[in-house]
Amino acid sequence: MARAVSCFLLAVLLSASCKVIISSDPMCIEKEANKTYNCENLGLSKIPDTLPNKTEILEFSFNFLPTIQNTTFSRLINLTFLDLTRCQINWIHEDTFQSHRQLNTLVFTGNPLIFIAETAFNGPVALKHLFLIQTGITSLEFIPGHNLRDLESLYLGSNHISSIQLPKSFPTQSLQVLDFQNNAIHYLSKEDVTCLKPATNLSLNFNGNDIKDIEPEAFISTVFRSVNFGGMADLSVIFKGLQKSAIQSLWLGSFEDTNASDLSPAVLQGLCEMSVESINLQKHRFSDLTSATFKCFKRIRELDLTATHLTSLPSGIEGMESLKKLVLNVNHFEHLCQINAANFPSLTHLYIKGNVRRLLLRDGCLEKLGKLQQLDLSHNDLEAPDCCSVALRGLSHLQSLNLSYSEPLSLQSQAFDNCPRLELLDLAFTRLPMRAQQSPFQNLHHLQVLNLSHCFLDTSNQYLLTGLPSLRHLNLQGNQFHDGTLPRSNLLQMVDSLEVLVLSSCGLHFIDQHAFQNLRKMRHMDLSHNNLMYGSIEALGHLKGLYLNLASNNIHTVPSHLIPILSQQRIINLSHNPLECSCSNIYFLTWYKENLQKLEGSEETICATPASLRGVKLSAVKLYCGITAMGIFFLAVFSLLLTILLFFAVKFLLRWKYQHI
Amino acid sequence: MKGFTATLLVCMLLGGSPGGAWPTHLACRSGGLEVFYQSCDPLQDFGLSIDECSRELKPNLSIRFGLILREDIRQLFLDVTLVSKGVSVLNFSYPICEEDFPKFSFCGRRKGEQIYFAGPVNNPAFDILQGEYEILLELYNENHSTVACANATVLCS
Repeated sequence: MARAVSCFLLAVLLSASCKVIISSDPMCIEKEANKTYNCENLGLSKIPDTLPNKTEILEFSFNFLPTIQNTTFSRLINLTFLDLTRCQINWIHEDTFQSHRQLNTLVFTGNPLIFIAETAFNGPVALKHLFLIQTGITSLEFIPGHNLRDLESLYLGSNHISSIQLPKSFPTQSLQVLDFQNNAIHYLSKEDVTCLKPATNLSLNFNGNDIKDIEPEAFISTVFRSVNFGGMADLSVIFKGLQKSAIQSLWLGSFEDTNASDLSPAVLQGLCEMSVESINLQKHRFSDLTSATFKCFKRIRELDLTATHLTSLPSGIEGMESLKKLVLNVNHFEHLCQINAANFPSLTHLYIKGNVRRLLLRDGCLEKLGKLQQLDLSHNDLEAPDCCSVALRGLSHLQSLNLSYSEPLSLQSQAFDNCPRLELLDLAFTRLPMRAQQSPFQNLHHLQVLNLSHCFLDTSNQYLLTGLPSLRHLNLQGNQFHDGTLPRSNLLQMVDSLEVLVLSSCGLHFIDQHAFQNLRKMRHMDLSHNNLMYGSIEALGHLKGLYLNLASNNIHTVPSHLIPILSQQRIINLSHNPLECSCSNIYFLTWYKENLQKLEGSEETICATPASLRGVKLSAVKLYCGITAMGIFFLAVFSLLLTILLFFAVKFLLRWKYQHI
Repeated sequence: MKGFTATLLVCMLLGGSPGGAWPTHLACRSGGLEVFYQSCDPLQDFGLSIDECSRELKPNLSIRFGLILREDIRQLFLDVTLVSKGVSVLNFSYPICEEDFPKFSFCGRRKGEQIYFAGPVNNPAFDILQGEYEILLELYNENHSTVACANATVLCS
């Protein structure tokens, strides 16, 4: 027995010494000096002494604080944000945050709380956000409410709460978010919801609660900003309970792993009895879909039918004349006309992305949508033989068009002439075969942003970008240039209003000195992931104040005459280049150290040569490129020899001269 | 010396060896198929089991998994890399939770929450050819912070 005890003692002693060894040097990461610190996953059992008193934002999750009390954080009186996620907190004692007047956000997610003292949250002038997710709460009485007058959001997800009734004394007038995700709420009574009456503009989340019944007209009292009943099996219960309510945004979607009953016209009848502006019905299935299905959608402005197994929408839907936004992502349409766009003449936003089968862009399917401003047809393997003039007929108000991730689209000249007000056009990852000398974007006078990344463009076509007087942002990432060269006359000469240009991953070896001469408004230039050497920097000589990204290129050295070009820019990234750290590059190395404040990615800006300095950060390199002691010695010996030689030569010369007199 | 060794041993047991690997678990073994996995997240292990293993993999398999979230998962993506005989055969990326399309009921849960999921995963049916495969699975959020990481080995006989 004694032996067992001594063994146990030894083990305790040994483990104690281990703890010391393990936690000998925990280092918090400084994200912003004297302000933001990250001490996550360090196994700390107290606030480290190394943290400055002025710390405002402290990420302290995944540490070990079984008890917190008024001494725990007392030194850090300027705290505004404190994250104590999974710190194994059991007890929050009296006056824990007494001295923290500025405290705004407290996160206790995932702590096995046993008790919160009545005065635990006293101190902060205005505590706004409180996270008590998965803390084992069974009743709302557990939360001491009297210093929570300014509380704006209260997160109570993943607990064992069965009633949302807040204690009478709990202040709700400032509440904007009340989150009850994944609890055990089965019933909502009128009285429960009446408690929330002082809160105007409230967002309520009941996602993942199995609600079996709601007292009729329970939600009659207040206007809600949003209510979420996600994952509910039977929507008729919800519609019945929401009679005479006014909700701006109602989320009733289902999930892959939850059961959903079919939406019949009878179920949707409930919508006639309430006022909703925006509704989401993702992943439900409509039974006998006819124009009558939507007869109670008259007041709805935004409708989201993502992944609702639709193959078409019925024609002749009445009462959707005022729908503004329609989301039909991840459905099963064969061609665009099957959405029967004529049903929605007021539509300003239409999203049909990620269609499950290949979508055909037939002519004029959207021509009744004269008010449409935003159209997203991305990720559809979209196919269109001659794009896009006829297909986009009638869309004269369109401002934003997304055709990215389509099958090859062969663009005609003036392909978008039916959408003259276009401001943003995204064609990323869509191959664009076109005839030489063609100008598909001509006459887009308002186009500001054009994304042509990975479009396999014919970059030798100098007329590709003609007719774009307002273009500010151009992305040409991943397009190849002939011979890896951007010549003096190139496609960028047509777009002199450019401010942002992306030419990364274009296989560029060389940029002509005058290639960018027309671009005088540039602010942001991304040339990363090419094979550029220092010579190409000359092309930037006329530009000042740039954000310049030259990361992952082939720059070894930068000669002294090019350094002023770098000096005149705002921020430069030279990381991942095979930089030389020898005396032949000393001007650049000196400049680098003097301008560290404008260099981005300096952690990854490292030497490649000589071998002795490989992998060393440029900022840490110290070179002495004056004459060394050995050099001085040899120089002295050399000059001595030279003097002796000269002496003898003169002596010989004089002797020879005198002999011949 | 003995004391030193003992201390080291106790330390290893208590603190976990830094850089040491998590144990290899069996996700399923039946119908000629064995799936082993090991967490490659240095911070934590996780639990996974697959309900019905077989060479002719059925569609919509049910799985169970449990882990602690170290990041919010409003957005969650899965990267899969399949390697056979040292050659990369297949690479793909799949969104699980997106802002405009949360596919699963656990989407939107927060850092620090413990998750237990038992349900279907919406996979297609396919037959697995005989052999040994290495699969790297990575779950990450919109900031590319790791949510879970697994090195799996599939043995099909």
